[in-house]
Amino acid sequence: MRFPAWYTSSITRGLQQQPAGLILAAATLIPIIAAALLAPLLGTYSPLAQDLLIRNHAPSWVHLLGTDHLGRDVLARLLDGGRTTLLVSTVGTLLAFVLGAGVGLLAVTFGRVSEALVFGFIDLVRAMPGTLLALLLIVALGSGALPLILALGLSFSPQIAYVARASYRREIARDYVRAARTFGGTRLHILGRHIVPNVAGALVTQVAIILPRCIVTESVLSFLGVGSSPDAPTWGRMISDAARSIQTAPHVLVAPLLALIILTICISIVGDHLRRGLDPVRSDDSAIGREARPA
Amino acid sequence: MKTYLPALRRRSFLVGASSLGLMAAAFPTLSLGQSGANVLRIGTLGLDTVDPHRHTGTIAVQQVYVEALTSIAPDGSVEPWLAEAIDARADGLAYTFKLRPNVHFHNGDTLTASDVVANFSRVKEKITGGWLVSAMEYVDSVEAPDELTVVVNMSAPYAPLLNLLSELWIVSPKSEGWDDTINRPIGTGPFTFGAWQPKDSFTAPAFDNYWVAGLPKVSALWFDIRDEADKALALQAGDLHIAMVSAEAAETIKAAGVANVDPLGDATWYFMAFNNRSARAPFDDIRVRQAIGHAIDKAAFMNFEAGPTAVTTNQMSKPGTFYFDQAMHDADPFKAPDLERARSLLAEAGVNPAEHTVRFVSWQEDYAQVIVQMVRQLGFQVEHAALDDVAAQQRLSGDDWDMNVMSSGPRSDIFLRYVRLMSNGPNPTLWGNIQNPALDAVIDAASKEVDSDKRRGLYLEAIQMVHDNMYFVVLGHAARLFATRHEVKDFKAGFSFSLNWASGGVAHASL
Amino acid sequence: MRRYLPVAATVIRGAAQALGIVFLIFLLCRVVPGDVVDVLGLEGGLTADQAEAMRRELGIDKSLVDQFLDWSGGMLQGEFGRSLRYGVPVSGMLLHALPVSAMLAGGSFAIGLALALVLAVAATSTRSTVLDVAINALNIWSIAAPTFCVGFIGILVFSIWLGWLPVLGGVGMALVIIGLDNAGQLVKPLREELRECVSLPHVRTARAKGLAPMQVAVAHVLPAASPIVLALSGIVLANLVSGTITMEVLFGLPGLGSLALNAIHGRDYPVIMAAITVISVSLVVINTLVDIIARLIDPRMS
Repeated sequence: MRFPAWYTSSITRGLQQQPAGLILAAATLIPIIAAALLAPLLGTYSPLAQDLLIRNHAPSWVHLLGTDHLGRDVLARLLDGGRTTLLVSTVGTLLAFVLGAGVGLLAVTFGRVSEALVFGFIDLVRAMPGTLLALLLIVALGSGALPLILALGLSFSPQIAYVARASYRREIARDYVRAARTFGGTRLHILGRHIVPNVAGALVTQVAIILPRCIVTESVLSFLGVGSSPDAPTWGRMISDAARSIQTAPHVLVAPLLALIILTICISIVGDHLRRGLDPVRSDDSAIGREARPA
Repeated sequence: MKTYLPALRRRSFLVGASSLGLMAAAFPTLSLGQSGANVLRIGTLGLDTVDPHRHTGTIAVQQVYVEALTSIAPDGSVEPWLAEAIDARADGLAYTFKLRPNVHFHNGDTLTASDVVANFSRVKEKITGGWLVSAMEYVDSVEAPDELTVVVNMSAPYAPLLNLLSELWIVSPKSEGWDDTINRPIGTGPFTFGAWQPKDSFTAPAFDNYWVAGLPKVSALWFDIRDEADKALALQAGDLHIAMVSAEAAETIKAAGVANVDPLGDATWYFMAFNNRSARAPFDDIRVRQAIGHAIDKAAFMNFEAGPTAVTTNQMSKPGTFYFDQAMHDADPFKAPDLERARSLLAEAGVNPAEHTVRFVSWQEDYAQVIVQMVRQLGFQVEHAALDDVAAQQRLSGDDWDMNVMSSGPRSDIFLRYVRLMSNGPNPTLWGNIQNPALDAVIDAASKEVDSDKRRGLYLEAIQMVHDNMYFVVLGHAARLFATRHEVKDFKAGFSFSLNWASGGVAHASL
Repeated sequence: MRRYLPVAATVIRGAAQALGIVFLIFLLCRVVPGDVVDVLGLEGGLTADQAEAMRRELGIDKSLVDQFLDWSGGMLQGEFGRSLRYGVPVSGMLLHALPVSAMLAGGSFAIGLALALVLAVAATSTRSTVLDVAINALNIWSIAAPTFCVGFIGILVFSIWLGWLPVLGGVGMALVIIGLDNAGQLVKPLREELRECVSLPHVRTARAKGLAPMQVAVAHVLPAASPIVLALSGIVLANLVSGTITMEVLFGLPGLGSLALNAIHGRDYPVIMAAITVISVSLVVINTLVDIIARLIDPRMS
């Protein structure tokens, strides 16, 4: 789940060469996001309303995607779950971003000792099995959306911290920063005034890589039984709940399963194009590439 | 040394890597479990500990290698097992057990009265937890007047004793770890203790010298004791011969025509409890509790959880059993949902449900969502925490919750259900930590009552107190289902999860 | 000699990391609410007094520092202790789970690497659009489709609709699914690397000599690309160690992942610690080994 940027950028490089793919992905993604956000306004069924007399019914005109094992409308739950899925993973990504960039940049700004300490710790965390760590963290924090977001943010922040450090090093060596230092700017001043604006692009591009992986990780945690609450299920939780009726009502499983896969594929493609748009020069050789690439 | 090596190494590295790929193609599939023509394969609940005296949870496996003085017949009655005859003195203060002659331990020794005495002493002196510990408090002394007679003297009458002795497994004192924790039990069962991987599998080879001639009929038992695995599909595929299955899967299995499905004799019972130790307003108001009771559709709930095999009632004993009372059942005010009555009760209590949030705790079970939705329908906000076993336990033993919905499995004696309602009982949290000295006294009196009719009266008095105080609402009973494939002959599920008892069980089964 | 100094440094760094991880995991385990006595008492077999007595007996009422010293002392002697829940030696449970996980990780890695190599080499030597599309598709699939989702699709299609495979012990299906996932992660960067290697001088010479494209690819391009294969393999293997857990749960395979998962739910500290420690240490070992091999086969790195 953790890859250096040069690796992931080469993974997604192929996607960038196909504008048709981008259009298709965006065309799929926009209605998904819109439907998920506007679900309450579409007002068909409540995602929680049960009708125990029509459990596991196949798709019909009344219930377009059928009903689940509690007689709830699968479509209504899919829309509602989409919102939770997007919310949890977006906030998780943002948290990873704030945490990783903040800690990473501050650590390098305050000199070698703080850098060695902080990044030593980050190395440690990265060497642990991520899924199990997130799992343990959620069991410790309790169930629900908040612990899930925290676990996601913590899991993905090390990667951002690495990129932040690499970008910092690249910027600090540039002439304008040297100039600012000779004029007596303090470390924090230089960080805020000169470095942050210039590394922001490289960092924001990471969001495009992390968001789909947040979605996937969330679904894995839900599958392992420590995900969102049953009242506000994510697609991952819907998948693992529906697994119990895999034999009698496969449609309940297939709906969130396909939705999840389509969403992550589309976000990966669109995110990658956005990344190139935002950061045309650096996307192919972000500084961490130089650091980690063996050759 | 370093000039030409790299290229060579690179190549050999790649050769190695691709040959690894070829190996993978030829990788033999991992064989799970013991195969063999005459091995009976069973999917059921797990095993907690190797030491038969140290169990605290549901025991589903160990009866096949260790046996007890008594066992519970499929109808719930006590039958003599390693004891041939049992004589209980009328005052309930002494029991005499006549042991079966020629019962052999797996190490070849013959069972004697002194072995039984040693087992009683070990449980009384060494064991800190488990059902038997409380029972042993009333056992004054255990004597062996001759090779095959055991006399148990009680300090006070204790009605559940004979039932509970079905879980005091007689282990050879020569078992490894007897003085501390037994790690290889030597029992008298039809099968011996083979290999155990917790939460995975357990193997029990047949014992040649079993005290019933001609048994067991299969050469070994293999247990699939994984939690997460879908055993119904494995049963359908023929990977398992006997398996515990859900009500939903039972229908598919019956339709496929590969197996019989039988319920256990004793049922799991479901209940919805309130926080009874530290209830906060408005859930301390009995009218609010009654209103919630009226909002619950017991029949819909039980049908969801267990389908046609489920029954609804207001008692901890299943309809049709000795401790069940039909008149009380008929008078249940919550027999059918009555939202109007519920709303008028709330109005009477001056409670607007929309202003209150119920802090609702459950395990990660689907049935909880059914009850939560019914409470929501009454107008309450619900904050539902679906937790893993331990986290739920933690939450319930604290004060920050209002309601739960839970279930409790088969027990060898009715007392084991009532004891959970006592303020100092074992794990009373599930029932909201009831603190009622009067209730404690009634249940205690019932456990000491020798006369069965009077005992029944006391237990009914206790459940009536539960109703009057609205401590919890019994929803109903549903027996766990065991599917047995047609090729298995002479086996039918028993009273509890136990697979071996005096009058039946896996020892008689053949393929 | 100078060549081996960085290797030694790598090893020392790895060992220090392993130590730090063990300590961190110990702390994390104890933040989790509830303990094994709560688990044992769930069925109602324990009164409050009995539970306290049992905590004393198991030694989990001691201070955290004491418990850590006890545990790490045992670890140093290669003794993982006994499972609090089941009373059996943890080492036995590990020995049972380890081969399953090793087989899953090793087998699926081999499948993934073999498939990736074949696809990448074929694409390099033939310039087929079909192959390039296949590589792209496989790659996107591995990013976007979580393995457990693919597992569900597999169960649905092969076990339920077609009725071919038993659901339990679906080792074959698990291997193929993780294998495909690995192939998708490996194949893309590999293909890019091979494309760049084609323009290396000695490869151009070989082509000028008139060797067939396939021969050039296998004899000259592949060896040049081996450092990148190695680096990628390290990353993929490291992810595998913890990534097989969903497959273990889905197909009921008793590996290290499900051992740890069960132990977390059962608050069986010694087992959680041992399982995560073994996984983490093997991660560190893999990374260290990859680092060392990379230095040995690629002199540019030293």
